[in-house]
Amino acid sequence: MTDPTFRAGFDATLETAINSALRYDPGSRTRLAKLAGKVLGVTLTAPAMSLFLLIEEEEDGGYVEVHSRWQGEVTTELSGSALAFVQLLRNRDATPAKLGVTVRGSSALLAELQAILRDLDIDWEEPLAKLIGDSPAHQLGAGVRLAAGWLKDALGAAPKAGAEAVSEEWRMTPPEPQFEAFAEDVAAFVQGVDRLEARLQVLRSKFEGRDGADGGEK
Amino acid sequence: MTERKTTHFGYQQVPVDEKAGRVADVFHSVAARYDVMNDLMSGGVHRLWKRFTIELSAARPGQSILDIAGGTGDLTARFSRIVGPTGKVVLADINESMLKVGRDRLLDRGIAGNVETVQADAQYLPFPDNTFDCITIAFGLRNVTDKDLALRSMLRVLKPGGRLLVLEFSKPQSKLLEKVYDQYSFRLLPFMGKLVADDADSYRYLAESIRMHPDQETLKSMMGEAGFVDCEFHNMTGGIVALHKGIKP
Repeated sequence: MTDPTFRAGFDATLETAINSALRYDPGSRTRLAKLAGKVLGVTLTAPAMSLFLLIEEEEDGGYVEVHSRWQGEVTTELSGSALAFVQLLRNRDATPAKLGVTVRGSSALLAELQAILRDLDIDWEEPLAKLIGDSPAHQLGAGVRLAAGWLKDALGAAPKAGAEAVSEEWRMTPPEPQFEAFAEDVAAFVQGVDRLEARLQVLRSKFEGRDGADGGEK
Repeated sequence: MTERKTTHFGYQQVPVDEKAGRVADVFHSVAARYDVMNDLMSGGVHRLWKRFTIELSAARPGQSILDIAGGTGDLTARFSRIVGPTGKVVLADINESMLKVGRDRLLDRGIAGNVETVQADAQYLPFPDNTFDCITIAFGLRNVTDKDLALRSMLRVLKPGGRLLVLEFSKPQSKLLEKVYDQYSFRLLPFMGKLVADDADSYRYLAESIRMHPDQETLKSMMGEAGFVDCEFHNMTGGIVALHKGIKP
C-alpha cells in the first residue's frame, strides 16, 4: 500500500490548486456555492484511484474539499480511465457515454461543474496586485492583454498550423479526430468485453445450476 | 520503607505522581510557538498526517467528536466544519496554556458555536458514558502517565460503534530511516528548539518521549486489551508516525 502521506499530499495539492484558481474568479465561486453539500465521486480505472470532491460554502462563495475516502452520500459518481477524464475536461462537446465514462446518480451536477470549468475566467490582476500594488498590476495586466491580442492577430492560425505540422506532417502525434476515434473505439471495446464477461457469467451459472440438478438426480 | 513507583519522562525515571507536572511544564514552555515548531520540525508534513486522520475518522454532519490533547486546535477546526451546526466538537487538553492558545486560535478563525473547550486529563475523562461518535488523540498519548487507563477512559465515553484514532510518533520501518531520524531528533531537533523557542530541553524531551512510546504492534495490542475491536494501524512516512484505529464494540 502506498504511504498515506503521499496520498494526503496529492489531495492537499489538488485542493489548493482548485481553490486558488477559484479564489480569483468570484463568478465561479458564486455558482459553485449553489452546489454546496453535493459530492462528486471519481473512480479512475487506469491508474486505479478514487477521489471525492465535496462542494462547500463559506461567506464569499463555494470551495472544494478533496478526500480520498468518503462514507456519506455521493451525488454523482463517475468511473473511467484517466485518458477519458482528460478528454471530458478538454473537449466541450464530449459526453461521458461517448468516452466510456460511467455516470451514476445525478448528471445535473456533472453538467453544472463542466459549465463552471468551461467558463472559469481567472482574474490574474488580483494576485499580482497583492504583490506589486493595484496600479502597476493593472498596467501590467493591460500590457499583457494587449500583447496577447497582438500575438493572437499576428500569429493567426500559427498554433493550429503547428499542431497540424506535429500530427500531420511529422506524424509525431495522432491527429485529434483520429485520437478521439481511437478513444471511442477503446471505450466501445471495454464495454463489449464487460458485456461478454457478464454473458459468460450468466452462462456459467446456468451450467453450474444444471450440473447441480443432474448430480442430485443420480 | 516503601519505594515510590516510577515511570519514564523521556529517558529519565521519575515518580509517577511527578510526570504529569513535568509534561505540563514542557507544554507551558512550548505552547506559544507550538504550531511554528511543528511546521519547522516536520517540514509541514504534520498537516498531511492530520489530514489522513480526518479521512479515517469518517466524521459526518451531526456527530459528536472529542479531540483529546487537541493543543492548538488543528483537528478541531476541521471537525467543526464537517459536523456542522447540528454536531459538536470538544477540544480537550490537560494543559491550560495549550488550551488557551487553541481556543484563541479557533476564535480568530471564526470557529465557534459547535465547539467547546475542556481542560481534561485523558486518564479520567469528565464525560458521561457513550457520549462521542469519534475520539482523536494526536501526538498526545505518549505524554500520558498511564496509557492503559487513558485507553479505557476513552472506551467508556465512546458510543458503541464509535471510533478511536491515535495519531502518534512510532517506529520507523527501515534501519536506514531510523538512523537518519535518530540523528535528526537528537542533534537537529534540540538545536532548532533552542534557536526558535529558546528551549532545547523541551525538544530533547519530545525526541526522548517518542523513543519510549510503544511501537505499532504494542500499541495495537494495548488497544485490544483495553476493549477495542477491529484494531488496525497505518504507517505514515515510513513508520515515523502511525495512525491506530479501534472500534468500541
